[in-house]
Amino acid sequence: MLGLLLLLFLGFYAVSVAALIFLKFRWGMRVVGLAAVLILGSIAVMFAVYSAPALARYGLSLFTTADWDPGAERYGLLSAIVGTLISSALAIAVAMPLAVSAAVAINEFLPSQVRWVVASLLDLTAAMPTVIYGLWGRDVLGPALAAGLNALGSWLLGAEPVRTPLNLLTAGVLLAVMITPYAAAIIREGYGLIPRQIEEAIYAVGATRFEAVLIKLRYIKQYVAGGFFLALGRAMGETAAVAMVVGGNYVRLVLNPVDPGITISSLIALQFPNAANYLYMTPVLYAAALTLVLMGLVINGVALYLLYRWQV
Amino acid sequence: MSKIEIRDLWLSFGKVAVLQGVNLSVAERKITALMGPSGSGKSTILRVLNRLIELIPEAVVKGDVYLDGRSIFSMDVVELRRRVQMIFQIPNPIPNLSIFENVALGLKLNKLVRNKSELYSRVKTALERAQLWEEVKDRLSSPAGKLSGGQQQRLCVARALAFEPEVLLADEPTANLDPENTARLEELFLDLKKDVTIILVTHFPGQAARISDYVAFLYKGRIVETGPTKEVFTNPKHELTEKYVTGKLY
Amino acid sequence: MNWRRVKNWLGIGVIVTLSLFAVAPVLSVVVSIYAAGAAAIASLGGLATFLTAEPPDPFATSGGVGPLLAGTLYMTALGAAAGILVGFPIGIYIGEFKRDKLSHVARGAVNMLVEFPTIAMGLFVYGMFSMVRGDVNSVLAPLSRDLSSVLGGWVTWFVGPLDFYNAYIGAAALAIVMIPYVALFTASAYASIDQPLREAAYSLSGREYKAVFTVLRKVVWRAVLASFLLGTAKIAGETAPLFFTALGNHYYAPFTGPTGAVTLWIYEAAQSSYKVQVDSAYGAAAVLLTVVLALFILAKLLGRGR
Repeated sequence: MLGLLLLLFLGFYAVSVAALIFLKFRWGMRVVGLAAVLILGSIAVMFAVYSAPALARYGLSLFTTADWDPGAERYGLLSAIVGTLISSALAIAVAMPLAVSAAVAINEFLPSQVRWVVASLLDLTAAMPTVIYGLWGRDVLGPALAAGLNALGSWLLGAEPVRTPLNLLTAGVLLAVMITPYAAAIIREGYGLIPRQIEEAIYAVGATRFEAVLIKLRYIKQYVAGGFFLALGRAMGETAAVAMVVGGNYVRLVLNPVDPGITISSLIALQFPNAANYLYMTPVLYAAALTLVLMGLVINGVALYLLYRWQV
Repeated sequence: MSKIEIRDLWLSFGKVAVLQGVNLSVAERKITALMGPSGSGKSTILRVLNRLIELIPEAVVKGDVYLDGRSIFSMDVVELRRRVQMIFQIPNPIPNLSIFENVALGLKLNKLVRNKSELYSRVKTALERAQLWEEVKDRLSSPAGKLSGGQQQRLCVARALAFEPEVLLADEPTANLDPENTARLEELFLDLKKDVTIILVTHFPGQAARISDYVAFLYKGRIVETGPTKEVFTNPKHELTEKYVTGKLY
Repeated sequence: MNWRRVKNWLGIGVIVTLSLFAVAPVLSVVVSIYAAGAAAIASLGGLATFLTAEPPDPFATSGGVGPLLAGTLYMTALGAAAGILVGFPIGIYIGEFKRDKLSHVARGAVNMLVEFPTIAMGLFVYGMFSMVRGDVNSVLAPLSRDLSSVLGGWVTWFVGPLDFYNAYIGAAALAIVMIPYVALFTASAYASIDQPLREAAYSLSGREYKAVFTVLRKVVWRAVLASFLLGTAKIAGETAPLFFTALGNHYYAPFTGPTGAVTLWIYEAAQSSYKVQVDSAYGAAAVLLTVVLALFILAKLLGRGR
């Protein structure tokens, strides 16, 4: 019954958009714009509704415990939340220097032939399917990181810290590779908008090229921040690639990055197929999805606030 | 010896020749005006003098320019820009930095001061000389972008003066200012010339007549006539010059 | 004074080096995927077989991505079509009608959607669909019967009562991923039109919709088409939205039921303990990479021919 109503609503929406666009254009477009808001709204509402049973039963303990025992219907999302935070923090820490450098190098230092190649490679990095990154992460990046760290470890400490290449560190570095082009694109956009007069002023006061870059980056700091938050949001939400390299450990709370761990999105990916077999797993996973959405909202909110504060 | 000597300067952007064999001597501690119609190359000459032209990769420069007898192209460009400062047609303080930071920027970058108190006193002196100190002394840390157009331009003058430069290049500095601020800036230049050699590019022959000691008339990338201002304006030797100063050419 | 110059060269050196680090990984990915993938395809029966055969079970000696490729192509095509039809107008609204208050809200919503975890999109579509499934099927079942009596039995592979998991909700999830992407691209393409050109377009065309869709479109069609191609490449490579919508399938099967996709197979087979399956994952990755690269290069060529 509800379904029929929904279908009727969608049908009416589509027809009215078509009619309005041709009759009264501006309003037709407004209705279309509303679609984006509606989709976002319905996602939030649906997740809230579907996770209600879990929230009612477990309350806050859902987010503060690290248990995962479906048989006993005991669930805790803490290890997933911590895993998300650790891998995203690692990812953004590695990605930002790379992204800033790439954007600056492309706009300032690379000769024009090289510039086009590097910029296109950066775009390709963004277009690459995430499962392929997962594959590469498992068989190339993970082992390389593990070997490198173990060599370093046995040389400095006499012990090999990394037991398996499938861990939070690999996930973090892989995420860094994947999110760098997004941050770089935003920073490049800002860099290109620096007015010629400002550039002349910077050089007229006798700055070297490197010093000028630093001053320019400060000038476009809202773009740097924008890139930071966009990349962070992506890192938090990435699923397939992370699921393939993170190790899938949802039982213990993991704080050491070289131990196998779990993130919210990979938890959902790995556990949802089982969820129908248990009473409360489905709502718990929807609660996890809701957490992810809320984290995303917070990040976007902070980003918007900073942009607003830095309006010159 | 003249402060700045431009010898046989040619400049082209790709295939388009913008300056064609410019020769000019600039006297020390005087105001020399470069005037001429739009597109004659006046602003371009200025940008060669502090090598800002090098920001444009397509620009090809031939010929030479001497500062106190030494070629500016053989100098370290950063050192050149310490001695030769510039103010621009559109005031360009860095808007997100504070008023104080804008003036201090050059001093800090080039390590021209040894400590905080020396920095402060030099910034204060520069702002006083630019006749901006009284208006901003209570809000030195507020962003420079909040000042009015006239104030911003005086801030740029202060920024330049903080270097205690030998030469000040001014690229149509009053073009975007109202008459009151224009008059203020012109008075400021007359005051500054006892310490600084000033090269002023202007779109208004009247301005050149008002404040400059020497003037050069540029037309389509060539110097048509130069000389003491009074002479050029009252007794121009070239037909083009006469047309320009009487307003028939613009 | 010399230290400043040293700092300058050091700084530039670090920046350029780090920028090369930023693009080196993608080269490593392409090389390793093609190297391992080519070898895998050869060992699994050659390219022709690989593109049509079913994926290998743990004890097979040959296999391919046939049904998976079919699923990917079908769902990507549908998803891209929907993504363009909805994303393009939204993009125009955000890009052209900046003075509307709703436009700013919509832009904010689109910005949030484009960053959304794609797995959440899949969950959303799954949840929505389970609400309407019964009613949808009560329409589709008789429709399918009527059509197949006219056109033949094959119709039931495309039209019919839908299972809990099927290709159409997979395509819907992909569409929702693509919509904000296309919208943002279109918005910036339209926003970068010079004002004089825009004023000319509006004064020349009789009705507003003509100006936007016809005249201005001619100016930005390259950028918009490039965004369509890139968006299609993007969703061809998506996995997470399909987890709970298409689910996956190892066999050729009706699109009204669980459907496989190349990306789903790579995800599954890469984690298998059987070499033949891991090999087929690399082979599938090579195929997928080729599709994505082709679309990417097309988009880049369009961008260059200005």
